[in-house]
Parts: sequence; C-alpha cells; structure tokens
Amino acid sequence: MSPMIARARNTRRRTRQRQAILSILPVVLVLLAIRAYPIVFAAAKSVTNWNGLYTSDYVGFANYARLLKGEVFWTLVRNNFVLLLNVPIQVFLGLVVAVLLHERVWGWRFFRSLYYVPQIISAVIIGYLFRTLFSMDGPINIVLARIGLMPEALEWLGNTATALGVIVFCLVWSSVGWQAIVFMGGLSAIPESVFEAARIDGAGFWRRTFQVAVPMIVRVVEYAVMLSVVWTFTGLFPFIFSLTRGGPGYETTTLDYMIYLRSFVSGVNLGEACAIAMLLLLIILALTVVEMKATNSMDDWSE
Amino acid sequence: MRKVLRITVLLALSLVLVVAFTGCAKKEAKKLTVWIPGRDSYIGPDEQKKAQEEWYISKAFKRFEKANPGVTVELVVEPDAAAAHQTFKAAAVAGTAPDVANLWSGQYTFGIKDAVRPIDDIVPKNDLANLVGWETMRDDFKADGKLYGYAGYTVTLCFFFYNKTLVKKAGLDFEANPPRTTQDFDAALEKIKKTGVVPIVTDESFPWLNLYVAVYWWYQMSGPDRILSDCLGKTKFADDAGLLAMLDYYHALWQKGYVNRDAATSSDYWAKFLQGKAALTPQVTLVMSDAIAALGADNVGILAPPEIDAKAPFATDRAVGGTGGALVVSKNSKNPDLAVKLISFLSSKAETMELLKTQAFVPIRKDISAADMGYKPGSVQDKMYSFKDKYIYFVDNILTPGVVDEYYKLCPLVLVGKMTPKKFAESLDAKAAEMKK
Amino acid sequence: MSRMDGRSGAGKLAIFIVQTLIALTFLYPLFFMMQNSLKTRPAYYTNPFNLPVAPLQFANFSAMVSQFKILLLFRNTLIVCLGTLALLILLGILSSYAFAKLRFRWSQPVYLAIVITLFIPAQVTMIPMYVQFARIGLVNSFGGVVLAYLAQFIPEVVMLMTANFRSIPNEIIEASEIDGANYWDVVRHVILPTGRAAIFLTVIFYFIVMWNDLFIPMVLLQKMDMRTVMVALASLIARYTGDPPYQFAGLLLSAIPAIAVYVVFQQYIIKGLTAGAIK
Repeated sequence: MSPMIARARNTRRRTRQRQAILSILPVVLVLLAIRAYPIVFAAAKSVTNWNGLYTSDYVGFANYARLLKGEVFWTLVRNNFVLLLNVPIQVFLGLVVAVLLHERVWGWRFFRSLYYVPQIISAVIIGYLFRTLFSMDGPINIVLARIGLMPEALEWLGNTATALGVIVFCLVWSSVGWQAIVFMGGLSAIPESVFEAARIDGAGFWRRTFQVAVPMIVRVVEYAVMLSVVWTFTGLFPFIFSLTRGGPGYETTTLDYMIYLRSFVSGVNLGEACAIAMLLLLIILALTVVEMKATNSMDDWSE
Repeated sequence: MRKVLRITVLLALSLVLVVAFTGCAKKEAKKLTVWIPGRDSYIGPDEQKKAQEEWYISKAFKRFEKANPGVTVELVVEPDAAAAHQTFKAAAVAGTAPDVANLWSGQYTFGIKDAVRPIDDIVPKNDLANLVGWETMRDDFKADGKLYGYAGYTVTLCFFFYNKTLVKKAGLDFEANPPRTTQDFDAALEKIKKTGVVPIVTDESFPWLNLYVAVYWWYQMSGPDRILSDCLGKTKFADDAGLLAMLDYYHALWQKGYVNRDAATSSDYWAKFLQGKAALTPQVTLVMSDAIAALGADNVGILAPPEIDAKAPFATDRAVGGTGGALVVSKNSKNPDLAVKLISFLSSKAETMELLKTQAFVPIRKDISAADMGYKPGSVQDKMYSFKDKYIYFVDNILTPGVVDEYYKLCPLVLVGKMTPKKFAESLDAKAAEMKK
Repeated sequence: MSRMDGRSGAGKLAIFIVQTLIALTFLYPLFFMMQNSLKTRPAYYTNPFNLPVAPLQFANFSAMVSQFKILLLFRNTLIVCLGTLALLILLGILSSYAFAKLRFRWSQPVYLAIVITLFIPAQVTMIPMYVQFARIGLVNSFGGVVLAYLAQFIPEVVMLMTANFRSIPNEIIEASEIDGANYWDVVRHVILPTGRAAIFLTVIFYFIVMWNDLFIPMVLLQKMDMRTVMVALASLIARYTGDPPYQFAGLLLSAIPAIAVYVVFQQYIIKGLTAGAIK
C-alpha cells in the first residue's frame, strides 16, 4: 500500500472519528444529565429506607434480602416471564400483517389505516373493555355457552392461568398494529425484485414471509423484539391496572405494577421500590445480553 | 468539520437558552397555591362542564381575595388524588409544594407529615369547636398529637344501598324492620335470594364490601386501638378475635350465595344494581344522586350494617365513614397564617352553605342541620344525614402503610375462599413485622 | 394493482373477511366511547353497552371545547410534542448515523449504555427528576417536559434508526464521498432518503405516545393553563365518582389529531427506496 493512500485512509478515519463523536455528543450529554442522575439516585436509595421525604437511613441490602426471600417477588417475576409470551405472538402476527399489507391484499389501504387504532386509544379504556369482555356475564362467556363449548361460565379473571391469558390477548391485540408498521417500514427497504423473484420461484406466502422477507429485515425484527421485551417489563402498568388491578391477590401483578404500588399507593418505603427497579434493570439487562448474543448483533460492531 | 463544530455549539447554546428562559420564575408577594382534586372535592360533579371562572371554588377564592387585598390565590387541579400524595412529596423535597393541598386524612397525612406544617399554633379556636374530624388529623390519632391540618370538607358515609322494590318483593321492609343482627340479615338475604335476584353485588378488586361495611364488624369487636397496635406489631392480627370473626362472616356471606359469584373480579356490579338486577350493594353516599337518577328517589334506600354482636364493646348502631379528606399546609409555604386563614374561610358557615348549593353532602360543621340542607324528613338524604355523628372512621385510613396495601390486595381472596382468614391475618402480621424495622 | 396476483379467489376472500372482523374489533373502543359520550352520567353507569337514548348529550362535546378549553390543551400538548419530535429526529439521525456507519472506538459500549437507560420504569425516576428539574427551574415549563421526553425516548429512537440505517449499503455512501460529499451532504442526500421509513415511524409513534402520555406532564406541568390534554381529562374521574361520558367526549376529540398524524404519515413509510435515492 502506498504511503499516500495509507495517509489518506488515516485522515479519513480520524475525520470519521471526530464526526462520530460530535454526532453522539448531544445525545450522551442529555442522557447523562437527565437519565443517569435518576438511575444513580435510585440505586443509591435502594439501599436505604427512604420514605420519599427526608428519612433516608442506610439499611444495607435489607430491601433486597426481604424481596428475594419473600414469595411475592417470585410471583411477580413469574408473571412478567409468563406475560413475555405476548412478544413472539405479537411479532409473528405483526409480520404476517405487514407482509399482507405490503403485498397489497384487497382493501389494504383501508386496513392499513385501521391496524394502528388500538395504539391511539388509552390503555385504561382498552383494559376496562377487556375486563368487561371476559367478565362472568360478559360476551365471551355468553358466546361460548351458546355454541356449547362451555356450559358453565368461567371467571376468566379469577384464575391465574386464564387471567394471564386474557392479559396476553389484550397486549397482543393492542400491539399488532405497532409491530406491523415497524415491519412495513423495514420491508419498504427491500427491492420489489426480491419478492418478484420469490413469487416466480413459486414460494408460497409463508415461505415468502419467513424465508425471504425476515432474513432481510433481521435487525428490524430484533429491534421490535427487544423493545417489546423491555415494554413487557416496564410498560404494562396501565393495562394491569384497568384489567385486573394485579389481582386476584398478587396473581397478575407485575414488577412495574409493584413499583407503582410501593411508590404511589402507600409510598412509605420508596427504598424498596427502588430496589425492585434495580432488580428489574438487572433482569432486562440479562435478557438483552442473551438476545444480542443469540442474534449475533455483536457482529455488527466488529465489521 | 468546522461547520459541524459550529452547529453543535449552536445547539448546545440554544439548549442552554431554552433552559434558562423557561426557568424564569416570577415571585409574587402574598400568593397562595392551592391543590384541589377535580372531583369529590370543592369542585362539584358538574362544574368541569362550566368554565373555570364559574366554579364555586374560583368564586370563593375571588371573595377571599376581595376580603384580603394584595393576596392572590391560584387553583391547581390534581389529576389524581392518590398520586397527588407523591407529587406533593416530590414538590416538598424540591421546595415547591403548594401552600394548601386537599389530600386524604389519617395515615395518608401521617405519611407526608414531614412535609406538612402543624397548625396547632395558628388554628382559630372556634374552628376547633365548630368543625368535626380533628382526631383524624392528629399525629397517630392521639388526642394530644400534633395537628396536621383540617379534616376535609365532608363526612363521607357508607351504607348498603338497596332497591326497595326488590326487597319488598321478598316480603321485607328495611325501613320499618331493618335486620339488626347477622342472623336476621342472613334470613333476609336468604329470602331475597329465593326471589331469584342477587342479594348483594360488589366488586372486591377494590374491596367495597370489606372496607365499607365489613370492617365495621371488626372495629366494633376490637376497637381502633387494637387495630392500630396490630399494625404496629405490638399485638397480632392472628390473635385478633374481632378480625377473624369478621372475616369468617364475610366469607360465609359469599359461601351461602348471598354475594355475586364473581365478586373478586366483577366489572359490572354497579350497572347491575342500577338496572335493578341486584338488591343490595355497598356504596358511598357520594354516588347517591346517580342511584336516584337510575332507580327513582322512592326506590333507593340505605341500610346500615347489622351488628355482629349486640353487645359489641366498641360501637353499635354505626356506619363506616368519616372525614376522609384533609386540608394541609406545606412546610414550604411562605404564608402559613394566610393559608390557614383561607382554609378557615372555606370552612365557614357562609361558604359551606354556598358550596352546598353546588353539591349535596354532609358538611363538617356542627351548626348545619338537615333542614338547612333542604332535606325532606323521611327522605333517603335525611336518613343519611342522621348518621352524621354515628360513624366509625374509615379503617383503611387507620391501617398503616404496607399493611393497608396487603389488606387491599388479599381480602378479595378471603371473600371467595381462596385464602383462609388465618392465613390472611398471618400475612398482615408478617407485613407489620416488616414495617416495624 | 395487487401484488398478490396468483392467489386463489377464495383465499383472497377469506383474508379479507378475517381482516374485516379484526378491524371491527379495533374500531369498537372508538364506537364504545362515541355511544357513551352521548349519554348522561346515570345512563352510562346504568348500562355502558347499549346505544344512547334521546336526548343525545352533544353538550358534552360543546362543553369540551367552550368550557373545558380543550383547544388550549391541544395547543399545550402540541407544543410539547412538536418540540420534542424536532429534537428527537435531529439528534436521532445524527447519532444513529454515527453508530450505524461511522466506525469509532467505544461505539458499542456507548450504544449499550444508551440502550440501558431504557430499562428504568418512570415511577422510580419521578422524584429525583422532579427535584432536579425544580432546582434548575424547569418545572411548569414546556422546555422541561421536552427535555424529559427527549431523555426518555432518544434511546429507542437511536435503536430504531441505527437498525434502519445499517441496511443502507456502504457503497452508496462511499460513492458519494468519492464524489466530494462531506458529512452534511451524506446525511442530507443518502441517509435521509433511504432512512425515511425510520424517520416517519418515529414521527408517528412518538407523536402519538407523547400526545397520550399522562405521567410526565402530570408531574412537571401543574399550572392550569399549561396542562396537557390527558392530564386535564384525568381529573374528570376520581376514586368514587366520575364523569365518563364527558371524559369520553374529550378522549374522542383528542383521538382526532393522533389519527390524523397516523393517516397522513403512514404512507411515507411505505413509499420505499425509489424516491430520492442517489444513483
């Protein structure tokens, strides 16, 4: 390699480095100023008995010990992990819908506008409607009785398994539109020729979707999965609140709902709420690392 | 490259400018900020359909400003009364808590007491004489505890609302012959059940039946001091005979079919009652007008809970209720005397009568009679009013934080038999022990 | 012209019917709110699921506009949403370009650190954020809410845009650089056109999320004339009583801008590579 080309390459690399650093600087500054402080604060408070006001005595790992030794915490973790079921279902259905709309099925313009509507409606209303739908005298039980599948009405929200199932259904229903729109965006970057070729080769819908489209938008799928997983751990509060209030007992309470209970309702041991948040952070972090290793995202960084 | 640098600097500068500019706070002399919930407060049920200037409370503030030149009062509507306790705390830590806040009494106030200015030294003596509810605002309910504020503007009362037609159909008359013992109550409910109608309908995911009726039985057997000492871990819930007796009867009601099967998760209990499909439902008097609108004024009655024991040591012939609200002055306030003056003004007889024109409720003044309120003798409002001094204070405002959360969460399980009373009591004990540290 | 030629007619019909049924369920909540916004309060509580009877309470809608001042609330919410969106898009594009295409040391750990800030639920950060903002005078200011939203959403935006920008072929960028394009030229002529799907997705998604958000504005914007629409509507329901018909009227009116944004911008996500790409 001639020294001139090597020098040019070095200059380009240094320029690129500088550009890169300046590009991310505003974001890093904003996050350091506004997100890092609360996170450090929460970590610090999690080892105290902070009551939200002026009482804040160091208690070591007492909050953590109490949580990890109690039964309730593990019920919450179980609930969050069971509710994770909503993610593969959402993603799968979102992909199907995205490909269908991308391929312009009959009425696609009309349907495209409608899929996103659940995202626009308040989660509290959606939760309330699902609660009513699955209530003892609600439509689902009525229909099931009429078609003879279930002679005796089931109290869907009264049993752990069925209550969690209803919640999963509700979450999937609300989020399919979002998944679809994310994947449609991803699909729009794929040249039409690829699909044409697949069709000419006689590939059916499922093969076109999962063996042609998905590999081309893997990073987008990964983004959707990661965000949905994080959402399942941090964003379910309004749904749980209006669907089941976390009940019966703690059977459908999730970790973020518990944080709400501990910090908003009685609000006396906010240190404990912070401890739950820290544990939540660790769980999500672990899941994310596993997910990134599984999809080999690390490769992206070593190009 | 330099262009990038220039733009980044410009961006940073503009961010700083935005921050600085929008951060300018104007300081005014003698300004009071008051937090009030959007409903179930000084703001009446239909007032948000009118412009803010038309609200009773806005006009009241104007009257106060006129009587106190140089003072301005700013109203801030709390979007959510429960969350307001936490935003109040955050504001207190930051030094920006409002002068006056309308929150909840009892343990809810004690939870924020470090941010509240006690008013023993500035509360007018005649308010202490003419208003009720002071004991719910004294530290730990002790008679000599620090006074943290005024009790909220109304005495809320809880009863079984009942459908007179359905009850009559079962051959009963709760006005002439209300069931006063649990045996009579069971018999009455059995008769109602036989007519094919749900006797009691409720949604225990917010434990209406327990908190607004059943706790009366606990209270009347064990008394408030015992309840408090259980919470503090000095005695045990598991040894509290009153609690266990109450829970047994509570579960028995469901077990015998007197309460709707899906009580733990019901979403339509209130609709069922308003449609005339259920005979009784535990409720607060605040929703009386909706019940009357749906069923007719002659068709709605209220029934106080029966006695679990005729010789109950701590209370008989009472309903659950009390001054659930609170008016506190924050420690941040630069004008605490003025703040108390405002609260006293709002609690005066003149202002209370004015407020009564926009909403019907039981006032906290001792010198207002049912006739003053325009209640017809024999009407359901009149009967409600007769319990003005006959209530036991909300037990969920007595239960300490932590314990009260556990109580809320687990009592529906006891109702439908998914948890035994003993296990419930033990969970409460565990929580009390935890909170003790 | 459908891209789906070659599918059987029965298959097409089945898909259409299934989608119609699903679409009906998506529309039901709006219908539910509509029918109930025309009832009186006792009528709603008596039966939330039947059709309203005369007289229809159109007054709920007119009161929302004239008395509840919902247009003022819209203005406040718009200020916050548009302000944040502008910054999200600008900062998102620049930093995602860096992560996706400009190789530099520490890019992976920095990216991971940014993503981690996503993992803390809002309730826990509320008090420290409030105290911090109060100390620098950012409470009761639109700038404060914009900053809070920016900090909350920029990690997700960066994730989305980085994922999207990665698929831009390096050859296009290198070609334009050989043609003499500098940093801004590359962003303007290569990244923006090919990454537009991510940009418009950001606009749609985050506008709607911020428009519907309750928590952050509830904590940071308390003055009556600065409230956002969801915070104001929340005050209509209390623990014991509420005015759902009135609130539904407000929610329906609020849904209009959100739906409008979606309908207008969704087509830009689909338009694809053909427009604006450098040859």
